[in-house]
Amino acid sequence: MFLEMKNITKKFGPVVALDDVSFSVGEAEIHGLLGENGAGKSTLMNVLAGTFPPTSGEVFLNGQHLTGLNAKKSFALGIGFVHQELNLINDLKIYENLFLGEEITNKWGTLDKPLMRLKAKEVMKKMNLDISPDLQVAYLDTSVKQLVEIARALLFDCKLIIMDEPTTALTNKEIENLFSIMRKLKNDGVSIIYISHKMPELFSICDKYTVLRDGKFIQSGYFKDIDEKIATQLLVGRSLLEAEITKEAVTGETILSVKDITCKGYFENISFDLKEGEILAITGLHGDGRGELSEALFGARRLDCGQVILRGEKLNFRHISNVIKKGIGMVPRSRKERSIIKDMSILNNMATAYFVGKHKKAYISNKDTDRLFEENQKKAAIRVGSRHDLITSLSGGNQQKVIISRWLEINSDIYILDNPTQGIDVGAKFEMYKIINGLAENGKSIIMFSSEFPEIYKVADRCLVMYKGKINAELDRSQLSEVDVMYYATGSNMEGIKNEI
Amino acid sequence: MKFNLFEKHVEEEAPTIQGTGFKDKFFKFYHNYTFVFSFAVLIIIATYFNPSFLSYGNITLLLLQSTIKGIIACGMTLVIIAGMIDLSVGSMVALVGGLGVVVLNTTGSAWIMFFFCVAFGTFLGAINGLLVTKAKIAPFIVTLATMVAFRSIIVQLGQGGPFNVDPKVYDSFRLVAAGYLFRSDNFKGIPYMAIWFVAIVLIMAFIMSKTKFGRYVYAVGSNELAAKLTGINTIYIKTMCFVITGLLVGVAAFLLASRLTSITAPNVGMSYELDAIAAVAIGGTAMAGGSGLIVGTFIGAIMLQMIEGILIAAQIPVFLNGLVKGIIIIVAVVFQSRRERKA
Repeated sequence: MFLEMKNITKKFGPVVALDDVSFSVGEAEIHGLLGENGAGKSTLMNVLAGTFPPTSGEVFLNGQHLTGLNAKKSFALGIGFVHQELNLINDLKIYENLFLGEEITNKWGTLDKPLMRLKAKEVMKKMNLDISPDLQVAYLDTSVKQLVEIARALLFDCKLIIMDEPTTALTNKEIENLFSIMRKLKNDGVSIIYISHKMPELFSICDKYTVLRDGKFIQSGYFKDIDEKIATQLLVGRSLLEAEITKEAVTGETILSVKDITCKGYFENISFDLKEGEILAITGLHGDGRGELSEALFGARRLDCGQVILRGEKLNFRHISNVIKKGIGMVPRSRKERSIIKDMSILNNMATAYFVGKHKKAYISNKDTDRLFEENQKKAAIRVGSRHDLITSLSGGNQQKVIISRWLEINSDIYILDNPTQGIDVGAKFEMYKIINGLAENGKSIIMFSSEFPEIYKVADRCLVMYKGKINAELDRSQLSEVDVMYYATGSNMEGIKNEI
Repeated sequence: MKFNLFEKHVEEEAPTIQGTGFKDKFFKFYHNYTFVFSFAVLIIIATYFNPSFLSYGNITLLLLQSTIKGIIACGMTLVIIAGMIDLSVGSMVALVGGLGVVVLNTTGSAWIMFFFCVAFGTFLGAINGLLVTKAKIAPFIVTLATMVAFRSIIVQLGQGGPFNVDPKVYDSFRLVAAGYLFRSDNFKGIPYMAIWFVAIVLIMAFIMSKTKFGRYVYAVGSNELAAKLTGINTIYIKTMCFVITGLLVGVAAFLLASRLTSITAPNVGMSYELDAIAAVAIGGTAMAGGSGLIVGTFIGAIMLQMIEGILIAAQIPVFLNGLVKGIIIIVAVVFQSRRERKA
């Protein structure tokens, strides 16, 4: 075995994050590490990368017993860690980021910039990344940033690369590119530990798998011996049996009609109608202007032209509070940055929209907020210890449910959900779908922005596919298939027209 | 519409996130109210140097002495909780106080002076606030600029000299700060200053914990983008933090003018911003914003005054006051960041 981690236990105070976990990776092997959020994947990898020492247990690399690991030592041993959150410094150039902490100096002890540029260029070429190493990282797309991060591991000839959900921000084409690089690396004898939630990716790129659950080792083996259903079962430890999904046509009246709205540089001439009780999914690929559209529909981004009619009345976007009072609620993407108020309790996080939209009294009474909390905790099945704990003490899924409850309380008619299941585990995702479908059954309308087809298929009545800031196709439930969505999202139909002309 | 995602769904037990035993409760309390413990330690030290420290007379004196900086610190608490800073409060005291004395001397009415101070302070606070929110300049820069600007205006108006309260109104005006309520032969009375202080602390604490505005201030300081996306008018909230600070500085300037009966333009209110920030830090408010308590600042302001007393009692040279305060701010903030890391 190339890498062996034996009986690793890691405790944070009373919390046992890893309980006697053993994990091994062979040479030139792509090893998928599976587990729900909080299963201990990141903790295990942090032990390996030397971020913190294990409470007990041993690590062997090439038969050599590693002790007193720290980040620098682990990197020197050839272990590269590509983090989920980008660890790049926006104000520095690409090559400066690549060589950060490992700068090459010339004989006078000053930076040897030409050599660093040259080496950076080389490694970027290897990755099919055709941009100048002198670009400032701040101006790069998230997907390119991710590739730069990976390039850093390649630059220093890492023998073992840990990739923690590297494809989150990548489009399918970029993922293909990444996979071909990974295969090339594997042929060169490099081992890769690949952490991901996306089953199709894991099955297509990885050789072996290891499953962790609740900090414990569950199973290890070859991907070719299992299928996605078995893998999901191993992951969640309980079977999520999916019933046949049947949906009847929505018969409600049109509640919202969007007419030719444009926000220059992001999206143009977007028009669609939304009925009562309808779940409308809007999908597309990275950079299609979806995120900006979701903000604009909530009044968080100025429109250049066009209008939105709500129940026959033109919606005034001047203040978000006005939009809220008219009955539109929003669950933004990137929970950490856009929806969680980290210093506030669960209760106060839940009540913020209520204060803005509904609270009329001069002062806040505890009776009021307690009632609010109890009702909505039940509605959204939120599992908490005490309502006065900080929201950050909850798991991602429960945090997201708190955020949805914000709008349940003020009884919004329309819910804009921007990537509502981002970064939450499989079990919580299913509960989220249940909440969304429940809302629609009660006559609420939902606009869900999502890039995951299985998710769209589970809830959507209708789906709009965006391509480069425009609506490229509208698919009914009967027409909904992953192939079609991809076809329109990649703009394949449009290129065809261009060729004919 | 029939819809069922699960044939079977296993409900998990609610995880108990924190223990409920006495020990856990104690640590939680310690975590949130560290300042109470340091306050207790300081009282013990102070009592060691001055056995009559906890007498009624001494306590009221302490309140009286910490009133002006304490009132300013209440405003500073809002600004810091909202994730900003106000360096101009010291100069603002001088500017409002100096012109307030002019108003007093020309009208002869302390009431008119009071309303002038409050209105003018509010106006200056609004200037700070609008520059931060509308012109989108960092609070540190805006208030650094207004700090030197306010000072320069009042020094020019006073031609470098003091604004003295006119002898005609001197005696009655002096009583605003020096007077006592319920004073009699066998009762020392309650100093008006202390009443001002406690009343303002109570009002501010009520606003911060029991009104929507208070919640919004915490929300803006903790995560401005998220606050904006739940419909909070973040520009209004941030502006109002400066406006309220200006208003409180107006009250403080009024009281200070009465206490000193003369506003010396070049040095009155000097380094008050530092004292206010120190009181806020000692009181446990997060310097990065998002959390903090007015009560903490109240205790913090008193502690700062106690430390000055202890330094005198311990015969430490008065010139070293600044050194000690500097160290205290650093220690308070270090304690704070250690708490945050544990949380």
